[in-house]
Amino acid sequence: HRRPASSWTTCWGRAQARSGPGSGSGPGSGSGSMNVFNREMKRRQKNWAAVLQDGHQYDYLREEVKLGFGSVRFGIQVRSFPLVLDLGGGKSYIAEHLSKFILCVVFQKLGRRSDIPTRSVVADEEFLPFRENSFHLVVSSLSLHWINDLPRVLSEQIHRVLKPDGVFIGAMAGGDTLYELRCSLQLAQSEREGGFSPHVSPYTAVTDLGNLLGRARFNMLTVDVDDVQVHYPGIMELMTDLQGMGESNCAWNRRSMLHRDTMLAAAAVYKEMYGNPDGSVPATFQILYMIGWKPHESQAKPARRGSATVSFRDLAKVSRPDGADQS
Amino acid sequence: MSGSNVWSRSRERLRRFPELLAQCADEAAVYGKCVAATTTGKQELKKDVCAKEFEALKTCFTNAAKKKTR
Repeated sequence: HRRPASSWTTCWGRAQARSGPGSGSGPGSGSGSMNVFNREMKRRQKNWAAVLQDGHQYDYLREEVKLGFGSVRFGIQVRSFPLVLDLGGGKSYIAEHLSKFILCVVFQKLGRRSDIPTRSVVADEEFLPFRENSFHLVVSSLSLHWINDLPRVLSEQIHRVLKPDGVFIGAMAGGDTLYELRCSLQLAQSEREGGFSPHVSPYTAVTDLGNLLGRARFNMLTVDVDDVQVHYPGIMELMTDLQGMGESNCAWNRRSMLHRDTMLAAAAVYKEMYGNPDGSVPATFQILYMIGWKPHESQAKPARRGSATVSFRDLAKVSRPDGADQS
Repeated sequence: MSGSNVWSRSRERLRRFPELLAQCADEAAVYGKCVAATTTGKQELKKDVCAKEFEALKTCFTNAAKKKTR
């Protein structure tokens, strides 16, 4: 089911992207901190999902992300990271192939079972109770898209607790995630009720992620996008699964009720606009993977301006391997 | 805490939603097409622009629901 999201429907009022700090607010602005999500509600949702009887049936997305982390696209030299912080741990278990000891910051009651010695701390990712320069590696899998003030968390929390030459690896839902759901609900609600309210979170666009990481003073950035498409029988099954994953909406501006007629309308619109030939409907999860390193003298830096010793003009004179003339 | 209350009834209704909708696939497709047409055409999406199609869908849906409860 891994294929790029093919059809793009123009859906006006497309989710306002959570833009990076490019909109003029510097690190010191501190004016009105972003407060999009009700974190207390998210904690309750996650706790509820964590104790579900067959909660593991909702783990497929996390499994997918775990595979994504393990893939070679990452190019992190395999080395051991003695102390790892796993943000929003719970059932995410990606750090296992990288480390010997993991400290988990969990939002939900049940930590995850693991073969590696693990300690769980119940804390809020936006206020990490750790000293600076503590960890060799910080990972975060599918939890950053619920953070309210992402720029601050990246720079003042994650960057701070990393040791110099430490690395941050993250995966979060971004940009186009669940656009089919968002559009279907929006269209159906407009037609049925004359207006619409947001039902899907705002996501960070992949184009903003580089900025965000750079502003948080991470070096040697890598950003990668993976569109995961999952097929469901219909909109209800999709929403049930989202709930089971603990990924239900918790934005402050959400409307707690969805009118029955609107649900029916949205189901019809979803199937008609995005449905597959076999009657199922796709849902896109655009996973953004990112790596950033905390600066350290040992890291390669761009060369100083004017320090070049060769010119592009000399490219033509570069000798060819089959024994042409050399310069 | 036992027996049927408004929460268990409404959850039960939600559970049946997909199977009921499946019985009204044609009406759903017609309504869906009507709404989808507004995203491409010059016609704006306003309230009740596809009211007729939706009524047909809703009627089919409620009929299917009535049939099942018998």
